[in-house]
Amino acid sequence: MASDAELIRRSLNGDVDAFMGVLDRHEAAVGSYLARRAGRDAAQDLLGEVWVAAFESRRSYDHSYADARPWLYGVALNRLRHYWRSRPAEDLVPDVTGLATGWDPWSAVDLGVDTRAMLRTAMTRLKPEEREVLRLVAWEDLTAADAARALGIPPGTARRLLHQARTALRNAPEVSALLEDRNTKEAHR
Amino acid sequence: MTDEMDLFAELKGAQPLQPEAYQRARAVLRAAMAEPGTMRVLSATSVEGTSMETTTPVQDKGLTPAAQRRRKIGTPGRVGIGAGVGVAAAAAAIALVLTSSPTGGSVPAVAKAPAARPATAGAPAARSPLVALAAYIKTNAQSTGDAWLVISTQVHGTKTMQVLYTLYTDSGAIYQGYSVNDIEYAIAHHQNQMTSGGYAPLVKAATLAATISPTQGRTTMLKAAGDPLVGLSPAAQKKEWDKEQAAAQVILKEKGSKAKPTPYSPQAVQRHFDNYLWTYSTEALSADGGNTLVRQGVLRLLSTISGVSVAHSTTNGEATLTITAGPEVFGGQGSEVLTVDAKTGMLVKDVSNTPGIPTAYTTYQSSRVRTAHL
Repeated sequence: MASDAELIRRSLNGDVDAFMGVLDRHEAAVGSYLARRAGRDAAQDLLGEVWVAAFESRRSYDHSYADARPWLYGVALNRLRHYWRSRPAEDLVPDVTGLATGWDPWSAVDLGVDTRAMLRTAMTRLKPEEREVLRLVAWEDLTAADAARALGIPPGTARRLLHQARTALRNAPEVSALLEDRNTKEAHR
Repeated sequence: MTDEMDLFAELKGAQPLQPEAYQRARAVLRAAMAEPGTMRVLSATSVEGTSMETTTPVQDKGLTPAAQRRRKIGTPGRVGIGAGVGVAAAAAAIALVLTSSPTGGSVPAVAKAPAARPATAGAPAARSPLVALAAYIKTNAQSTGDAWLVISTQVHGTKTMQVLYTLYTDSGAIYQGYSVNDIEYAIAHHQNQMTSGGYAPLVKAATLAATISPTQGRTTMLKAAGDPLVGLSPAAQKKEWDKEQAAAQVILKEKGSKAKPTPYSPQAVQRHFDNYLWTYSTEALSADGGNTLVRQGVLRLLSTISGVSVAHSTTNGEATLTITAGPEVFGGQGSEVLTVDAKTGMLVKDVSNTPGIPTAYTTYQSSRVRTAHL
């Protein structure tokens, strides 16, 4: 089976269906990535834009990488940024911002408050670049090096950002409480 | 033991995209591929449900061969092995008779016969109107002018995406632009799109198919298209088939589909071949339809495809053949209808239908011209 790099090379040589082969392999992953970041409705509109942007920028593809998925995530992220810039500011306010101040994570755990809200709160305290690396690694199953490709940063930087993000998350009160609660329950099973 | 990454991964869930969203995205890309310099992607969805609109064409004097080949924006397209091509339907056999055309010339015409056409590869199809037309245009080459000028208008839904002018000279050159002036410029600057380009193997295969047997023609075109199964033994085919099915299952699972893999069978391989053959033969026709041999070869190739039907028709008062590739050619959904001139075999119209996305069609106006007198 031809690698993505080979398909992109063929596409550059005029084989139009070669690039569609790249879509075949990655459209589900890229679609899910967009849906996670922007919601399904926006993702459905953005997916076509991502393919057009990827097709138009395929000359810049680094053929030393056989797998195009990290590159496609990078293209998708650029489209997302464009999309976010075009949205009204009020649409971009994190939905859990209000939970971050004066909030007692222990009682939240006791009350069964949505784990997602707690994690999202902890996320708001991370630096944007830390969040990006963390999302790509935890959600998209990329390595730190692949996340670096997607973000256009050195691999060492991505590893450092991932380490910082994990440490910050682990030490966040709400996450720490969640982890302790979860692991205590697991230990008693 | 749960760690922070495990917890964070729990936020991963997202509502899956609807299947038609993938089709729409592909249609957006295919339309953009048709003419990279003139497409602008919008952030909002248009009324037709596509995310694109046409802007003022960029005067790109050097349209690439690939762009030229992408004039065709048909959306059903190639179906991968793992996608499970649908059930083939035996097409009705069509008997050939020769009648007089409304314009006085002798043109091939069709009449349906009750017998079923064999669905095997390279079916002789000796009576097929497509084969008859191929033979007719071989012996009735156009004598006036020295080139075909084709004006093609692509429409997606209700939007006109582009209007392209293509000059196919009888000597084999192809020049393209957005106006006659562009073509003159291309000729003056020797921008012959036949001198390079990725579609050349398909054009060559179509040319060969004009003179060799249908079975050989199929094999030649499938090889030119890079088909992974052609020429393999049944055992090797099955191995490749199973590998592709497994890879497709991974993707289908990611999309939330529960479609089961299509088991290997000679019939399934045949349907797969038919899909490739339609896709790449029509691509060759789109790329170099001004070449008589290409038209002959493509007509002969299409005549071998189960699931393709042919009907006699009239378009703008002229005798035409309507060639329909039904859903079975495209894995069970979608269709493509080509209308060709019944005397010349030149494309008149190409209509693509895919459920969930707007119909795409291209109309072609062809005329014989003298290159020196454009």
